[in-house]
Amino acid sequence: MGSKREYELKPLFLERMKKLLGKEINSYLEILKKPLQNSIRCNTLKISPEELLSRLRNKGWEIIQPFKNHPEIMIIKTDLAPGEIGRSMEHLLGYYYVQEIASMLPILALKPKPRELVLDLAAAPGSKTSQMAAEMENIGTIIANDVSIGRLKILASNMERCGATNAILTKKEGIALCKRLKQEGFLFDKILVDAPCSGEGTLRSSSATAIMWNPKTIRSLSRLQKGLLTSALEILRPGGEIVYSTCTHAPEENEEVVDFVLNEFKGIVKVEEIKLPIKCRSGLTTWLDNQYSKQIEKSCRIYPQDNDTEGFFLAKIRRIK
Amino acid sequence: MSYLKILNQKEKAEIEYKLHEQFGISSVPGMIVMRGQERLFLFSGNLSEEEINKLEKCTFIERMGVYFAKIVDDSLRLSIEGSQILKEQIDKNIFELDEKQAEEWMKGHELPIKTGSHGFIIMKHEGDFLGTGKASEEKIGNFIPKNRRLKEKQG
Repeated sequence: MGSKREYELKPLFLERMKKLLGKEINSYLEILKKPLQNSIRCNTLKISPEELLSRLRNKGWEIIQPFKNHPEIMIIKTDLAPGEIGRSMEHLLGYYYVQEIASMLPILALKPKPRELVLDLAAAPGSKTSQMAAEMENIGTIIANDVSIGRLKILASNMERCGATNAILTKKEGIALCKRLKQEGFLFDKILVDAPCSGEGTLRSSSATAIMWNPKTIRSLSRLQKGLLTSALEILRPGGEIVYSTCTHAPEENEEVVDFVLNEFKGIVKVEEIKLPIKCRSGLTTWLDNQYSKQIEKSCRIYPQDNDTEGFFLAKIRRIK
Repeated sequence: MSYLKILNQKEKAEIEYKLHEQFGISSVPGMIVMRGQERLFLFSGNLSEEEINKLEKCTFIERMGVYFAKIVDDSLRLSIEGSQILKEQIDKNIFELDEKQAEEWMKGHELPIKTGSHGFIIMKHEGDFLGTGKASEEKIGNFIPKNRRLKEKQG
């Protein structure tokens, strides 16, 4: 799933990470050199975790299930040839999805249930959408949207392989879609805003992220993310929940975005606690010269060195009226 | 819907009748949505047709549910997912493959097997349902799409 680091981190990026991590910067830099674990998620729409485990072990693969309450999450400990996990019969038949553990967390936080109406605003390539369908047991409806037709085709292919029958795939720019859905009176029980981001958390698997990183992009992404989350909150029913997530550490794309909507929807939304089976750190309440709401401490920062995963950020927001 | 058409009760019943005739399947659990003239999708969501029409006013709907069958002449050919989703109901025209044959099948190869049947048959290996093949005098024709095929072993 990962490759060794073969790139230089930009000085400004390093400086920012030092500000975030202090003395722990060394353990962070160390883990970036280590390839990612091979993690998969059993697709319970097609097979039980016990059955999949038995099949994969019969192939000679050493598998562990790191979380007692989530037997569908598995790590393959055996050294396999590149691409072997994606070429197995079990993968081709849709019995599992190759998915990094950090990327499974937004759905564990959102907890979509059967019969709910759920929106996945930036759905492609479909790891989280198919996980949603599995949690919902294909009952209820997912509207899975993406802005790019190319990415939508990948989403469609993954949803098909997983046998996710309760999803409608749509193509529209996210903010515009929310506006139109609002005009037509749609209100959702749950929404996932897994926002486009600068991807700082994916350095272990994508060297392109380090090469492309720049602070201007972070500012422009932050504006887009605020727009997406604000628009999504407009179509969340009272009592409904949104998970906002990114695969970046930049506070401008995380805490700042959540703080923005807390101000925009004062007294209407609140940040909820998230319980996850891995080590999470509290969201920041200060960054550079900025102060954020104390509620944001309830959000989760996932650093790669804490759990041997990629980096992530999650916040769960409930609409209280 | 212009691009996708939700089949009405009568049209759905016609599909179910054909599925029953061919494979013993009595009901499809959800809406059947047709894309073009031949591709059938199964949608198990709980939006009403009226709500789906409202959604279509908001945005282009690329797909609903999962592709599960194709109309070929007057018959139906189930996809891998179609055979998996409906497996509990399938009780005729099933062909059991051994492990080696299942591997060849998943590589996309036609199988030189005389089944004694003609037309579409469900391919199965133990608990795995592997889509549909077309049996003729001397062989079983393969329809596994390229992106779902096992790779040939190198060397």
